[in-house]
Amino acid sequence: MNEITTEKIVLAFIGGVTFLIAALLFFILSTLFLKGVPVLHAGFLFEESGDFGRAGGIFYQSMGTLILMGVAVLLSLPVALGSVLFQTEYLETGKFKTFLTQLTYILNATPTILFGLVGYLLFGVYLDTGVSWVTGSLILAVMILPTLQVSIREAVEALPEKYREAGMALGLSRPTQIYRIILPQSFYGMVTGVLLGLARAAGETAAIMFTATTFSGIRLPQSFSDPVPTLQTHILVLAQEAANPESIAQAWGAGLVLLGLVFLLTLMAWIFRTRVVMESEL
Amino acid sequence: MIRFVNFSAAFGERNIVQDLTFSLPANSITALIGASGSGKTTLLRTLCRMNDRIKNFRIAGSVLVDGVDIYRPETDVYALRRKVGIIFQKPCVFPKSIFDNVIFGVRERISRREQPDRVEKVLREVFLWEEVKDRLGEKATTLSQGQQQRLTLARTLAVEPQVLLMDEPTSSLDPKSTAAIERLVQSLKNRHTILWVTHQHAQAQSIADQVLVIERGQVSPLRTPMARPSTSSTQVLQNVQGCPE
Ligand SMILES: Nc1ncnc2c1ncn2[C@@H]1O[C@H](COP(=O)(O)OP(=O)(O)O)[C@@H](O)[C@H]1O
Ligand SMILES: [Mg+2]
Repeated sequence: MNEITTEKIVLAFIGGVTFLIAALLFFILSTLFLKGVPVLHAGFLFEESGDFGRAGGIFYQSMGTLILMGVAVLLSLPVALGSVLFQTEYLETGKFKTFLTQLTYILNATPTILFGLVGYLLFGVYLDTGVSWVTGSLILAVMILPTLQVSIREAVEALPEKYREAGMALGLSRPTQIYRIILPQSFYGMVTGVLLGLARAAGETAAIMFTATTFSGIRLPQSFSDPVPTLQTHILVLAQEAANPESIAQAWGAGLVLLGLVFLLTLMAWIFRTRVVMESEL
Repeated sequence: MIRFVNFSAAFGERNIVQDLTFSLPANSITALIGASGSGKTTLLRTLCRMNDRIKNFRIAGSVLVDGVDIYRPETDVYALRRKVGIIFQKPCVFPKSIFDNVIFGVRERISRREQPDRVEKVLREVFLWEEVKDRLGEKATTLSQGQQQRLTLARTLAVEPQVLLMDEPTSSLDPKSTAAIERLVQSLKNRHTILWVTHQHAQAQSIADQVLVIERGQVSPLRTPMARPSTSSTQVLQNVQGCPE
């Protein structure tokens, strides 16, 4: 077999796989649109759901998802930022630093159900905090921590060394250096990280299923120990009622909204990432 | 002002300079010439402890600035770097306005009201004021290379250093900007001790009060007759020990 034949085979294989993935993605998206769009009506986003999710909208479910995501990021961001700055600005290059970096990558690849399980055991069983939005936010916060860390560290490390040196040469102390050079210069990278973290949290169901969410009977949480309804749980519960066409239809609608949310976050992350590239080329 | 005593520096096993003892007189321009890779940059960076972050960088002996060893453990490196300013080979301006760049090193140190005066003063010192006074809010990255190098010099002067280290400051500049920088260091020397690194003999001889040569890890005064001999060059001769005179 000569090189040209080999190349043709490889090309056909890569092309085929790419086509397959694209087709699959297209299939999922088009199904979601075909089934979801008919359910969407003017009030879908802003109405309370009724009749055990078979009618009405998904307002409180969306709110619940946003609360969990938002609080998770608020909890996670300071920790991620602090640990990145500690690693990049204070820790000397060496085995320990490499170890920490590897650890973040491993955590980032850990199946989310494990976070849910550990969170459930820790909070739900040992600490007995019960099923609540606080528990869910904490678990999500831990879950997105590596995502945030990786993105923020990449942003900070992409910062040209010359800026650090220029600041150092002017006699700036390390905290001033961080506050005046590192943070502003890697701002867009950080935003990208937060958005990707949010997208990851939005897509998560397993980890919050038994620890933070409920299907019905609650609107907005009134105390720290209340659970919240979320889009993810809503979809899952409705989809299990396969016999009921209204439930299934509502599930598709909620799915479309959730996808829209994730898509929006990813798009924003992408836009910000483009700006990062522009900044670093200055 | 500055004195090296039995000073050696190395990156890991690789010795850069060995057992140097020499000093630089205050308020004059000393040029340091040497081939590429001879350790000029290393020596300059040593003086403001810019090599601290490099893990395998080692030194022996002492470096005195104003009679104090800057490598003592209790040295305040930040204060040292404000006292000993360094200008790099390639100008590095921040992607911020011209004004913000000039004020960068002293933003937390002087009041908001004093800032415009400080900016004007140092921009005048580097002969840049007339060129940029109407566009201080514009991004500094829009300036030419030569203007950027003068801007970084203004930024360093704003911190009010006593010593100015210039690492081949004109090597990436056009002749006109080069001439401007050469002229402006002359006006700075009565208040600053200047160490100017270059690999051009002619430049060294035309701008400096004394010329040192770095070669094979040793620093010695230039022995060929100077174009413009001055008393201070003989003073340096006396200050350099182990010189074959
Ligand atoms: N960070 C570093 N690590 C190891 N070696 C270095 C480092 N920086 C410079 N060197 C070495 O030190 C020697 C002197 O470099 P340098 O001071 O930059 O020379 P010059 O400025 O005279 O061209 C060179 O051989 C260079 O390879
Ligand atoms: Mg050099």
